[in-house]
Amino acid sequence: MKSKRIFIILLGMLLVVAGVSLLYHLSDNFFLKPAFTTAGFFNKETPDHLVGKYTTIVDEQGSAISVMARVASSGDELYTSEGRHYRVERVQGDKAEAKFIGMDSQILAYNEFYAGLSVAVVKNLVEKSQGTFAVYHTHTDESYVPTDGSDSIPFKGGIYQVGKSMVDKLQGKNLQVNYDQTPHDPHDNNAYTRSRRTATSLMKANPSAIFDVHRDGVPDPSYYRTTIDGKNVAKIRLVVGRENPRMSANMDFAKQMMASANSLHPKVVKEIFVGKGDYNQDLMPTALLIEAGTHTNTREEAAAGVSMFSEAIPVVLGVSPSAPAAPTVKRPAGTTTGAWKALGWILGLTVVVGLGFLLISSGSLDNVKKRLSGFGREFSSFLGPRPAARKPGERGTKAVLEKLEIDKNPAANEVLKERKDDLTKD
Amino acid sequence: MGITFLLLASVVIYLGLAQRALDRMRLSDRGALVVIAAIIIGSFINIPIPFTPFNTTVNVGGALVPIGLAIYLLAMAGTGKEWSRALVGAVVTAITVYIIGSLVNSGSTVEPAGRYAVLDAIYLYPLVGGIVAYIFGKSRRAAFISATLGVLLVDIFHYVWLLRNGAPGNYNVAIGGGGAFDTIILAGIVAILLAEVIGESFERLSGGPGVEGRPPELVRGLQKPEFSAPGERNGDIRVEAESGVVSDNRRKVDLDKHEE
Repeated sequence: MKSKRIFIILLGMLLVVAGVSLLYHLSDNFFLKPAFTTAGFFNKETPDHLVGKYTTIVDEQGSAISVMARVASSGDELYTSEGRHYRVERVQGDKAEAKFIGMDSQILAYNEFYAGLSVAVVKNLVEKSQGTFAVYHTHTDESYVPTDGSDSIPFKGGIYQVGKSMVDKLQGKNLQVNYDQTPHDPHDNNAYTRSRRTATSLMKANPSAIFDVHRDGVPDPSYYRTTIDGKNVAKIRLVVGRENPRMSANMDFAKQMMASANSLHPKVVKEIFVGKGDYNQDLMPTALLIEAGTHTNTREEAAAGVSMFSEAIPVVLGVSPSAPAAPTVKRPAGTTTGAWKALGWILGLTVVVGLGFLLISSGSLDNVKKRLSGFGREFSSFLGPRPAARKPGERGTKAVLEKLEIDKNPAANEVLKERKDDLTKD
Repeated sequence: MGITFLLLASVVIYLGLAQRALDRMRLSDRGALVVIAAIIIGSFINIPIPFTPFNTTVNVGGALVPIGLAIYLLAMAGTGKEWSRALVGAVVTAITVYIIGSLVNSGSTVEPAGRYAVLDAIYLYPLVGGIVAYIFGKSRRAAFISATLGVLLVDIFHYVWLLRNGAPGNYNVAIGGGGAFDTIILAGIVAILLAEVIGESFERLSGGPGVEGRPPELVRGLQKPEFSAPGERNGDIRVEAESGVVSDNRRKVDLDKHEE
């Protein structure tokens, strides 16, 4: 009897652990290695605040496919503008080795789709779209060394002018943009909890999409620098957070944005990086983090890049399911909506983890049945008449406890416990 | 279509979890629902605080309601031990989160979230709050208090940082400004759920709270007066107690000690 009980508890814990690990592996990632070690944490040989400290991602042949001013960890993913899909397998120091997974069918389909959209259609869609957009900066000190003289100007970084160019471009198309210039200094991870407040207040205006504009911190400006339509431009990287339970929906939006922007201005979006973090993208399926060049690019280059990128925003939202205007063009075949995928994940995880916890907390299958059957009764108590005022007294605690003393039946006690849980709930 | 369902499902699951979590906070089912309603409605209310150096606002749903609940729980706690455990938990949470989130993961060219930003801040707070509180108080309530007051303390640290670094006067400080989705609420709810999972697992593995061989006064003292509750329900308990089936030879009563 006892072994059966332990088995059930272990089964419950296993279910919870399985669910939580599934959540962790949300991005189809089954090759996990610890990205965090206590030894590395205190290792001062690689200080973390050094300008120019960055990670290079190389493919299996050893050639560099991306550089970024962050620590990559195994499981992070990279989608290039051509649709090549890589997954980071190993991280050694500032080098991350990524495996080529294959061509991403979604990006390929979107690339083809947006390339086929004629300019006339694009214009038409822009006119139809009446959504508002929101732009903010989590790291408001970010600046561009050649133009601003420093990589960081507290509270009023050059990034504001870059955000402004995006806003101007959208407003030039008669779109409504809410640009929140609230500073969130200092430049740290907690800045996201502060900018979360800005993002939620922006969401009250029901924007079609919300953009957090950053810049990267890799030292080599040529990684981002290019010439598009005769202009010097700093390319863009889109970042999608892996720790967002609804990540696949944001991923879908990012892929569409990349394909669409690149069809208007070839290669203006360099890649999509899928890394650890949430970046407040759980707030909205169309929330996106943009990195406009790096701190060694000029501010004008970065501004030109985001300006070109933002031309694609109304195009994508005009055809996306969340757009206020009815879609005039069908989505390309072969692309499944990330939203459904995310929905499946969330519901599945809720059921698995919930069941696991139910097993742990109730201790046996019989009790699980009892609790589940009691669910309806509990629900009716919300809607039903208010129970009569409690009268501790004649049949008070003492009476029940005395009863308990007499009655040596343990199953009854389990029932009592359930009932008591119902009554006291704390 | 997909997006609509996704949004609906996530909101329902989030609020459902929140309700179950608040249920554990000396609140009735109805009370928990009222608190949730207050959080949602309060999300739209920002109260400006005058005579402060920056544009400081406090959100009702994101800050006042959860902090009020934390203070209510502290006030109901009664024993000095519970007080000190919860407050020490809050301070330790705040310091840990501040060190990880603001000192370790910072630097102007570390993008987008810092060198060791393995876990996003919205998960960091509840994780630290929940674990710290469980270590200090083995308690769901302490977990809630530690996490919510911990986040508030980090906001206060940040306020001091702003003062010392000469932030411009138009700097906005919106405490709890995220409303129902603010880190304060997320931290509180996830911390309770975490403590619940850890707590229930340990309690079950150790055979559940047993009363056999304990002095009857102790058992009686650990019971709640609400135990007897309404007369008719009490009758139900008696009936079920008499007709129970033997399934375990261990006597169990949920000692409140394990849940406080």
